[in-house]
Amino acid sequence: MIRYLARRFITMAVTLLIISAVVFVIIKLPPGDFLTNQIAELRSQGEAASVAKAQFLMQQYGLDRPVWEQYLRWVGLWPNPEGAFNGLIQGNWGWSFEYDRPVREVVGDALWLTLVVNLAVVIFVHLVSIPIAIYSATRQYSIGDYVATFIGYIGLATPSFLLALVMLFYANRWFEVSIGGLYDSAYSGLPWTWEKVRSLLAHLVVPTLVIGLGGTAAMIRRMRANLLDELGKQYVVTARAKGLPPTRALLKYPFRMSLNPFIADIGNLLPHLVSGSVLVSLVLSLPTVGPILLAALKSQDQFLAGFILMFVAMLTVIGMLISDLLLAWLDPRIRLGGDGR
Amino acid sequence: MTVRFQDLFRSAAAAEPSPLCGGGRPADAGRERGSATPIQGAPLGMVATSPEAASPLPAPSGGHPPPQRAEGWARVAVLSVLLPLLVSPALAESASDRLPKQPLVVDSTAQGRQIGKPGGDIVTLVSKARDIRYISTYSYTRLVGYDETLALKADILEKFENDGDRIYTFTLREGHRWSDGQPFTAEDIRYWWEDVALNKELSPSGPPEFMMVDGQPPRFEVIDPLHVRFTWDKPNPRFLPELASPRDPFIYRPAHYLKRFHARYTPKAEIEPLVKQAKVKGWAALHNRLDAMFEQTNPDLPTLQPWRVTNTAPAARFVFVRNPYYHRVDSNGQQLPYIDKVNMDVSAGGLLAAKANAGEADLLFRGLNMEDIPILREGERAKGYRTHLWPTARGSELALYPNLTVTDPVWRNLNRDLRYRRALSLAIDRRTLNNALLFGLGTEGNDTVVEKSPLYKPEYRTLYAGYDPAQASRLLDEIGLTQRNGAGIRLLPDGRELEIVVETDGESSMLTDGLTLISEFWREVGVKLFVKPQDRTVLRNRAYSGASVMVAAQGLDLAMPTAEMSPDELAPVHQDTYAWPKWGQYVETRGKEGEPCDIPEAKALIDLNARWMATADNAEQAAIWGEMLKNRAENQWVIGTVSGALQPVVAKTRLRNVPDTQTYSWKPTALIGIYRMDQFFWGPNPKEASR
Repeated sequence: MIRYLARRFITMAVTLLIISAVVFVIIKLPPGDFLTNQIAELRSQGEAASVAKAQFLMQQYGLDRPVWEQYLRWVGLWPNPEGAFNGLIQGNWGWSFEYDRPVREVVGDALWLTLVVNLAVVIFVHLVSIPIAIYSATRQYSIGDYVATFIGYIGLATPSFLLALVMLFYANRWFEVSIGGLYDSAYSGLPWTWEKVRSLLAHLVVPTLVIGLGGTAAMIRRMRANLLDELGKQYVVTARAKGLPPTRALLKYPFRMSLNPFIADIGNLLPHLVSGSVLVSLVLSLPTVGPILLAALKSQDQFLAGFILMFVAMLTVIGMLISDLLLAWLDPRIRLGGDGR
Repeated sequence: MTVRFQDLFRSAAAAEPSPLCGGGRPADAGRERGSATPIQGAPLGMVATSPEAASPLPAPSGGHPPPQRAEGWARVAVLSVLLPLLVSPALAESASDRLPKQPLVVDSTAQGRQIGKPGGDIVTLVSKARDIRYISTYSYTRLVGYDETLALKADILEKFENDGDRIYTFTLREGHRWSDGQPFTAEDIRYWWEDVALNKELSPSGPPEFMMVDGQPPRFEVIDPLHVRFTWDKPNPRFLPELASPRDPFIYRPAHYLKRFHARYTPKAEIEPLVKQAKVKGWAALHNRLDAMFEQTNPDLPTLQPWRVTNTAPAARFVFVRNPYYHRVDSNGQQLPYIDKVNMDVSAGGLLAAKANAGEADLLFRGLNMEDIPILREGERAKGYRTHLWPTARGSELALYPNLTVTDPVWRNLNRDLRYRRALSLAIDRRTLNNALLFGLGTEGNDTVVEKSPLYKPEYRTLYAGYDPAQASRLLDEIGLTQRNGAGIRLLPDGRELEIVVETDGESSMLTDGLTLISEFWREVGVKLFVKPQDRTVLRNRAYSGASVMVAAQGLDLAMPTAEMSPDELAPVHQDTYAWPKWGQYVETRGKEGEPCDIPEAKALIDLNARWMATADNAEQAAIWGEMLKNRAENQWVIGTVSGALQPVVAKTRLRNVPDTQTYSWKPTALIGIYRMDQFFWGPNPKEASR
């Protein structure tokens, strides 16, 4: 087990390193960078003081160095001008040029709000889709099954950004929820009071519904298919024949078995918590990571964009590990390592 | 089981944003100089809140109130109508103590305005936290500023004397104070000139360009604490218009505050810890950061503006409270501004119209567009606001800039051919464009000054701007572009197709829609047009380096000039005019980069611009403007199409003194600046609670 874990951690490190290289190279592909663009513009406006500052930042962050050196510095494998190693590995997330603040501060505020939104979505999706899936699997081809399927497909087919705008409008018209954001702007900068939390909850409804709706349909279909696979198996028939109550016969064995694919899915779920709602966040003006990432990519704010992408990649890798370990624990038939133990 | 790599990459890919989610909306930001300069926007919570850096001299009033809860403010707002003294402890001093001996008395009734009642907050929206900087454009308080008739008037100054555009003598108001209660004197102007503008570390490239005449700075004298004088050897007619420009150059700084961070006045040992704390390189960087007169990122920095910022980024709402020492009063002697507090909420650009529709803004104009008018009108009655439609003063909503300094030799020859530019202009059906883009409400013609300008003549707009495809075809044939391919497209001399790639920043649908129409018109004369939208920074870099053949953007910014405003936008002296980036570079860098202007007609513009700079005579300046505008129309340096878009200005019905119809522009009206936002006030209407 320890050997397995050690091997997994080494692969994870290598994977992350490769991803970081790919991410950095892609971010650097467009010509120029944030500061050269800025300097060109400032110079044309004769704003000398700002140019001086931009040039200072350029040196500080080595933007005048070759790309490979910038990359190594960012990761923390190359010394900065002061001769110290200070990069991702050492826990320095870098500097955001656009916001003129450390990346840690820029992302920090947004990160937990992102988690709140997406956690709400994940809970919503599971709460809604699992009962519906069980219902439609046990009553396959009934009218209820068709209705649930139909509604699910509509949810899957509606473009979420459009739905977001429509719902935003009516949430405002009917329930007086202010447009956009995660709470009424009157509360911004104030400590968390009950009113503020209530405002947050009211504003969570639309994003949760919109982001969740697409996911719900997919979840219902998968769960239903998994459960149908199990329901026809002999052990279910046996359990029923021996007189186990129907609910117990359903939940105790086939339901548990049908959860396997979802555990395996945790690896995707974790990064989804951060990146799952970019489009809707943009439309709804949510203060989450998605819009920050998009803006950073557009303005070539390389360390900010790089950090967010790396963070998502890391969550993926960790999620994969967790799901593999959980699977092995949940289902003894699955073995780790595959080295013929 | 092993890690599934394909899954891994799938989720990594999912993290990339979809190209569908276009970010910002077409704000007029792009055309405003200095709008994209986040580097200066230096939010500085750390230093600003450290005990040492807190306002060095405690305000006599005992400071400003901390931000209160929203409902609290609503209550205060209601109370303040009755008891204006409650709003801020600073107001405990009687108003006359806080005013200069000679306040600026605003004759509201003469301007067709009402005398208002002080009190209340207003909410407005910005699409980026950085945009809070435009408060100084909205509130428009200048040493010298334009009034509604575009005449230059003393504002912060009590008066100014201008001797032949060479010797400027400023008289300050006696007893005028900064927002922290410290006196505003000649020392504050001297500090800016001698310790900021002339300081090599703070301003490495010297004083701002408008202060230099032929590379020579003015002589500066402090006559007494209330009088200063700038003297140039040759006229500097740009000086006062620059002070009145939408982006205030702030030639005065709060010396008493900033000296604490200036190496000349404060020993190194005292500054050093602050520099460390702010994680900047030296005292100069720290000073520049705290000296955020325009950026509004330092709440401790005293100001002379009607409202001062109270919080720093990150925030979703920026709160500006009134400056208790503001120098303007109404004719009843009430101190302005009427509005106690301006809240700027940050919201995604795409939601501005929707939020206005939901009544979430008391006043909103920047970021709204003509295409938002239907949704804005829709919510008017229910949410108690009005959508005023102000005509925009801009040379052209969609202008084409053939790049005269493009590197490709074939295109360069063609772009420099006057017949070619005229042909392209004549081939555009502007009436159809007007109907499609501006509901037929616009004005068709060249990119030139608008009718409201005293310098306007009809020929500037109509010359070579009719629709005559036959004549256009003849001109193109005359150039020698007679060969055509199977699709009927003309061929360039080297055999390539005459396909003009028109680059644009792709942020405004009006531009791309208009270009799609123009591509239809041009096809009729055998010219192909390909629209290439891209990011604005990429666009600029391509244009500046000579890679782009033609750029589509908005036309003249200063489209409602008077003779005393600088005509430099018409001459090839700035690289940010897409028609001649390299000529502009050459002038701007004094010959180090770019290339010299080598077309006689364009050189004439440079000479005219220089002549304008050298004269103090208004009649001569007007004549020069006329010549330059004529030159512009004849040579079609820039191909204009339609102008006169309407700018929606959303204001709550109860918010009074908001003009019904006025001209909207960046320059010279400073957006709504010259219409004096400090006179806006909440009219009585008990049914609708103040927000």
